[in-house]
Amino acid sequence: MLGTFGYLVSLALAAFVWVAPAGATPPDLDALKVEEIAPGNYVHFGRIEPLSHANLGDQANIGFIVGDRCVAVIDTGGSYAVGAALRKAIRQVTDKPVCYVIITHFHPDHFFGAAALVGPGVRIITHTDYRRWIAERGRFYLKALHRDLGDLAEGSEVVEPTEVVSDRKTIDIGGRTLTLQAWPAAHTTNDLTVLDERTGTLWLGDLLFVDHTPVIDGSVLGFLDVLGRLGEMRVAHYVPGHGRSELPWPKVLEPERDYLDVIVRETRAALKNRKTLEQAVDSVGLSQRANWVNFDEFHRRNVTEAYTELEWE
Amino acid sequence: MLWKSTGARLLMAAFLVLVTGVSLANEMAEPDPAKSQYWPTIRQMMFGDREILDGKDVIHVYLSTRAADAASVPVSIKGQIDQTPDHYIKNIYLIVERNPSPAAGIFHFTPESGRAQLETRLRFEDYSFVRAIAEMNDGTLYMASRWVKAAGGCSAPGGRFRIPENLIGQMKFKFMDAMLEYGKPILVQLMIRHPNESALAMDFDGDKVPRFVRSVKVTYDGKLVMSGEVDFSISDNPSFRFFFRPEKEGVLDAVVEDTYDRVYHHRLTVSEGVPLPGG
Repeated sequence: MLGTFGYLVSLALAAFVWVAPAGATPPDLDALKVEEIAPGNYVHFGRIEPLSHANLGDQANIGFIVGDRCVAVIDTGGSYAVGAALRKAIRQVTDKPVCYVIITHFHPDHFFGAAALVGPGVRIITHTDYRRWIAERGRFYLKALHRDLGDLAEGSEVVEPTEVVSDRKTIDIGGRTLTLQAWPAAHTTNDLTVLDERTGTLWLGDLLFVDHTPVIDGSVLGFLDVLGRLGEMRVAHYVPGHGRSELPWPKVLEPERDYLDVIVRETRAALKNRKTLEQAVDSVGLSQRANWVNFDEFHRRNVTEAYTELEWE
Repeated sequence: MLWKSTGARLLMAAFLVLVTGVSLANEMAEPDPAKSQYWPTIRQMMFGDREILDGKDVIHVYLSTRAADAASVPVSIKGQIDQTPDHYIKNIYLIVERNPSPAAGIFHFTPESGRAQLETRLRFEDYSFVRAIAEMNDGTLYMASRWVKAAGGCSAPGGRFRIPENLIGQMKFKFMDAMLEYGKPILVQLMIRHPNESALAMDFDGDKVPRFVRSVKVTYDGKLVMSGEVDFSISDNPSFRFFFRPEKEGVLDAVVEDTYDRVYHHRLTVSEGVPLPGG
């Protein structure tokens, strides 16, 4: 009887939409520092550290590509303030309008700045499964951002895509064709990459982590498959979702692939040896600690994801 | 018609006040379980004025205080007494205080359970106390509480995959031991492939019923081992691990029902000397 009772309560509360406290104004940051890593491709390298009042969600690598006609933004930072600072950086480089905001996946450090970059005439493009994740997680992420940043989160919003990609799509920003590729479940279930065809620059979102512990939030087996396919692409320049590297393509994919391989191998062994989820989380992949930053923040979670996927093999 | 419940309405109203009032609270340190602003309302609705005693000799809750994944936090509830016909834990109430649906499950045990123990995986909407209340066969209540900080970053209680329709309801029994011994309690895990959709998701507007497992019942040789009424605070692909005490060869039988009124069955014959399924 109480089971039904609990369900009742939850239905009641589902109707209650958490509303961010209003009144504060978003912090006004200086323009983000950007680097032109290939002609027309400008990257801001985020900080490899957890969300804090000091970084305001400036964690992911974000940036933009300038065409003859307009600008395509790729990822927007983890809060309105960071998105607004990216907008200033764009204005220091070009007067051309922003016509596309492309969000590589539905994680807070990539999408929460979008509210500062969208407006009339700006098309917002995501992977098709992004919408399902908004429904599943949007409210939770917004609440967590306000819990962690307080008033500094002001203005940050979950934005809906105006169009989605389920396979592949090309867009033209004037003399430049960008190819958007939607991938099957890997880092998340809604990973989207952007290839600037003119310079051969591939923006990978979090399909590529450098230094920052890779995060599994889609499928560990899918992640390995996608890395294999990415490795076959011809790429002249690349932009990881976190970190930076001087390694050539596709060698830069190897540390991440090795990390995921270890997780799969050791989690399968733990399952075979009848280890529980807790036991697996306390033992799998610990040899990898020295190779990655933020390991304690993400690694145990990765093992949880891998275990709950592989236990159904 | 479910909405006619006055209790639910009251609890809802109370929650609206609480959720609004403390949304800015920033709990970095582990708070005192006795001072929780959420607990008095839930306690009153579920147990009225009944006395709830300190559970340290009767029931324990084990989990990682810094949970790895808000979508899947393993929690173990362990009865600290022998289940005898005269004195046993009859029900365990599992509560995630700050989930909008706080009652994650109510599990029933018998003297045949061997030990009243349950391990499952929970979703966390926020940093929260988990509480386990043991109700004895004589009606006495005992409580244990633990504080959980589900990790930040991208960790979220929402699902990852869509589970293909034809796989929903698939089940497995798994054992940590390779063999069983008659007369000795043994742990068994029941795994259920199911999305266990949450009404917390934004696209459930109250008209659409979320699809989640609402009851689980396991018998051995026709005798009840464990049963429970559960909710979507349980992670997707629900998992339950518990004891049973086989006295002879018999059939473990699981019956699972979801909110779409689908009923799923799974059976496994076990006996001494025959290897048990594991990983």
